[in-house]
Amino acid sequence: MSYELMAVLMFTSMILMLMTGQRVFGAIGFVASVFALSLWGNGAVEMPFSSAITLLNWYPMLTLPMFVYMGYMLSESGIASDLYRMFHVWSGPMAGGLAIGTILLMVAISAMNGLSVAGMAIGATIALPELLRRNYDKVMVTGVIQAGSSLGILIPPSVVLVLYGMIARQPVGQLWLAGVFPGLMMAGMFIVYIWIRCKLQPHMGPPLSLEERQQISTGEKFRLLKAGLMPLGVILTMTVLFMSGATSLVESSAVGAALATGIAGYKRRITREVMRATLTKSLGVSCMFMWVILAALAFGAVFDGLGAVKAIEILFLDKWGLSPWEVLLLMQLTYILMGMFLDDTAMLIIVAPLYVPLIIALGFNPIWYGVLYTITCQIAYLTPPFGYNLFLMRAMAPPEITLVDIYKSVVPFVIIMITALVIIMMFPQIALWLPEHVYVGK
Amino acid sequence: MPKVIKAYVRYVDALNRRLGIAVMYLIFVMMGLLLFASLTRYVLHIPLVWVIEMSQFLMAAYYILGGPYSMQLGSHVRMDVLYERWRPKTQGFWDSLTAMVMIFYLVVLFRGGFASTVYSLEYGQRNYSAWAPLMWPIKAIMTAGIGLMILQTISIFFKDLAKFMERDIA
Repeated sequence: MSYELMAVLMFTSMILMLMTGQRVFGAIGFVASVFALSLWGNGAVEMPFSSAITLLNWYPMLTLPMFVYMGYMLSESGIASDLYRMFHVWSGPMAGGLAIGTILLMVAISAMNGLSVAGMAIGATIALPELLRRNYDKVMVTGVIQAGSSLGILIPPSVVLVLYGMIARQPVGQLWLAGVFPGLMMAGMFIVYIWIRCKLQPHMGPPLSLEERQQISTGEKFRLLKAGLMPLGVILTMTVLFMSGATSLVESSAVGAALATGIAGYKRRITREVMRATLTKSLGVSCMFMWVILAALAFGAVFDGLGAVKAIEILFLDKWGLSPWEVLLLMQLTYILMGMFLDDTAMLIIVAPLYVPLIIALGFNPIWYGVLYTITCQIAYLTPPFGYNLFLMRAMAPPEITLVDIYKSVVPFVIIMITALVIIMMFPQIALWLPEHVYVGK
Repeated sequence: MPKVIKAYVRYVDALNRRLGIAVMYLIFVMMGLLLFASLTRYVLHIPLVWVIEMSQFLMAAYYILGGPYSMQLGSHVRMDVLYERWRPKTQGFWDSLTAMVMIFYLVVLFRGGFASTVYSLEYGQRNYSAWAPLMWPIKAIMTAGIGLMILQTISIFFKDLAKFMERDIA
């Protein structure tokens, strides 16, 4: 059997195994080990375990449990909801102000958390009911929360970029820096959209009423500002330590996790339940990621051994005669399409070993592609019928938000995200300026 | 379900739960170690060569020994496009079938881990680094963790089977 055919067979059997609904790591790991054994015999029995050693030696991976812990510490202890109160009070008087404040909140949470789940949880359970109570348009605010929380994987720290860095063998620090401006740009585009929309249709996002504003005294306003500034101080401390080279990437993540614990302790928010929930969830989420990565690395190694990447490259460049840019566009397109139908975590890990070597072979900058990859991933999170955030939203949102609302809500934001993607494709400097100008140690 | 199976499930679950709860505190050890290392380097100008590897070892122990408990917690993602819509009986049917698949993978992992540990022991393999730690202890821990993962998957298989047969397992 030819290697191309084997590669196709391997890919198909993985999709079929995933369809059974078994845990993703089990399904992928199984396909990897069966193919390794049948291709190379008993000598390949150590292949799945050798990916555990690869994972062991990938130092930046330590940022994953640290930032997962930090995110849960902030949300479980209620510090993140203080932050929401601050944005609520300060941005409420503007037209659409609460929605804009929610985007700012999401940016702040994204800068303390590597995933989109924490932002989603805080957005859907704390921000959403408040916005609905103040007669914000429910379709718009549902979209705001989903789009805003998806920034979690683009604005550093980003777990997605840690995974990408591992697969693409690129420094995580550089990747994170590359995500800063695209993330802020996208947040800015969201804010402009909300502001214009609410200017044109004031009923969609009414400002806080005068009496409600008067209920909050100036003293209270500043007290909230102080409470909100504390978590922002954590971000600042981490950034300064990291950018100045005082601490490495991994050490900065430990500083962040420790500071988050410190603040929660200072505010007397650490109860037995908070600690227990934080530790248990951190373990669960970290294990989930690590085991999927473990299996995916083995899968990628076998796939690589088959020469599948070379085969795709020959197909695209020689047989179809595409230019590198056409290949890039085709890749992004297939990625978005796959994202609609595949589980996002699985997709993330399957797509990277396929596309990243190709990108490097085509002469594109792998750091820049990391940003494109992440934004595409964000879009995939949001696009129906099967987006991770869509399901989360349905699970967490109040009952008056229907599935149809959720589907409708993401449309404008997906359009904005695709626009952002195109802008960054055309102007790579948006992503690359920061990592090129700031020295970052390993 | 037969008594033996019930007892197996109870013991394995209890063992892995206790282990998982103990292991989840390792995050503080990792955090403390990293902070300590950055302090000694920055303040006292003493670089600690062993910290990077030690924290990597701790992380490996964290996710591999914590693995079985994370399965109990139901933290592992599934592609639930179809799965979510099935009746519990159907879910139990497919899960008990595909649990075999997962066990297959874990057994291959275990065999690889075992062979690799034995090799490291025989040749006294050390990591290529300034600290040059012996590799067999961490490999042995990882292999043991994978073994516990197999035990946990068998327990989960029994639970899935009970779900399919609509029997009681607790």
